[in-house]
Amino acid sequence: MDYDPMAMDDSESLGPVVKISQADKQRVKFELSNADIAFANSLRRVMLAEIPTIAIDLVEIEENSSVLADEFIAHRLGLIPLSAEGVENLLYSRECDCDEYCENCSVKLVLHAKCTGDEMSVSSRDLVPTADRISQNLGTPVIADEDGLGSLILKLRQNQEIKLECIAKKGIAKEHAKWAPSAAIGFEYDPHNKLHHTDMWYESDAKAEWPMSEYADWEEPPQEGEPFDYDAVANRFYFNVETAGNIPPETIVTEGIKVLQQKLAGLIHELTEGDNENGNGDYNGPRSPEFNGGGEGWQDPGYTTPYGNGGNQSAWGGGGATTPYGQTPYGGAGQGGWQ
Amino acid sequence: MNAPDRFELFLLQDGEKKITEKVFTGMSNTSDFILMKEDHTLGNLLSENLKQAPHVMMAGYKIAHPNVPEVMIRIQTDGTITPREALVNICKQLVASYGQLGREFQKEFALRQYADQGEQAGLNAQGQGNGGF
Repeated sequence: MDYDPMAMDDSESLGPVVKISQADKQRVKFELSNADIAFANSLRRVMLAEIPTIAIDLVEIEENSSVLADEFIAHRLGLIPLSAEGVENLLYSRECDCDEYCENCSVKLVLHAKCTGDEMSVSSRDLVPTADRISQNLGTPVIADEDGLGSLILKLRQNQEIKLECIAKKGIAKEHAKWAPSAAIGFEYDPHNKLHHTDMWYESDAKAEWPMSEYADWEEPPQEGEPFDYDAVANRFYFNVETAGNIPPETIVTEGIKVLQQKLAGLIHELTEGDNENGNGDYNGPRSPEFNGGGEGWQDPGYTTPYGNGGNQSAWGGGGATTPYGQTPYGGAGQGGWQ
Repeated sequence: MNAPDRFELFLLQDGEKKITEKVFTGMSNTSDFILMKEDHTLGNLLSENLKQAPHVMMAGYKIAHPNVPEVMIRIQTDGTITPREALVNICKQLVASYGQLGREFQKEFALRQYADQGEQAGLNAQGQGNGGF
């Protein structure tokens, strides 16, 4: 096979390998090895921008006698993290049958506070979701601080009042950063800069002036006088996925993988459409009733794009798989692909 | 204001196709693929992996303008397979690889939770509560 022998060593056939070094409620740190940089970076990009969550998108202000302008408060409300537990069952508003919004595509939260004392703080704890939501925790403001208050929205002085209604909708961070599930994603590779992808600025000695990466001990430091390896490629990537609170950090990773698989599956579907006439053709047309029925929603019913060919029963969902990563018909390709 | 709606970055317009193939006549066995409403996430992923694939002579991508969510991928093969086949193979292989990554991650994560359970049962109870998401 006309295939670069450099990449043909045994480890290549194992596929990506994960090693988790820290996992708690806030973050998960892991090392991804045996993958190329494009593979790792696509996962990073997808986790940043394309995982659906829920955030306040519409605010109807009934009374605002605080010192802050309506739109200022509306913007602050949008940025409050809401629990996205069960968001896969929520429709996108633009794809819902309703006129503007309904309980199938939104969660309503109300805020009503009046200051009777001298001064009071209104925080996300005071945002109350109304009862008619599709799943129990969806849209509940995330409260992670010790006092159990959540994020501060505004402060009121005596006799000032705020009364408003918020509509939280499903979306992705590509549309607005308020839908981002991750507070930050750390991504690094090659801690000793052996590949020279970075140029370290220095006063007199780069080694002395730059702090070592926390992953520096994980990899062999360069030998004194070692010649530059022109064939070397990045192979180990260190992720640090920190959640904003709306989705647990490990779920950000698994959801990111799902979204990326759906994107690729959509391409396969469209590219091979003419080949096998199994009548799954028109995405824009009416969808068959079993469309939303297929399993636990890795196909994300009502997602914008044409990945929709039927829940877990899709060609690449694999029969009876419990996770979206269940066996695929292409499972064999996982082991070394084209070898 | 004349700013385009931001959902136009990822929502196909009515009748728009996700991906179209245009045969490039300047080179043999070469096709251009236009991906609508996509970005470097797929562009770089696909072209970098195509470069390593057998029977692919050349692959590359461009995003002509950062404001325009369209990716062009050009693929030249050696003639044993068509560029379209090469692209489909890469997609299938990547779906499988990411699937493996997902399984690997979940396995590692479960192991980690199991290990933590022994150490601090209290803290882990909270983690478990979240696990059902």
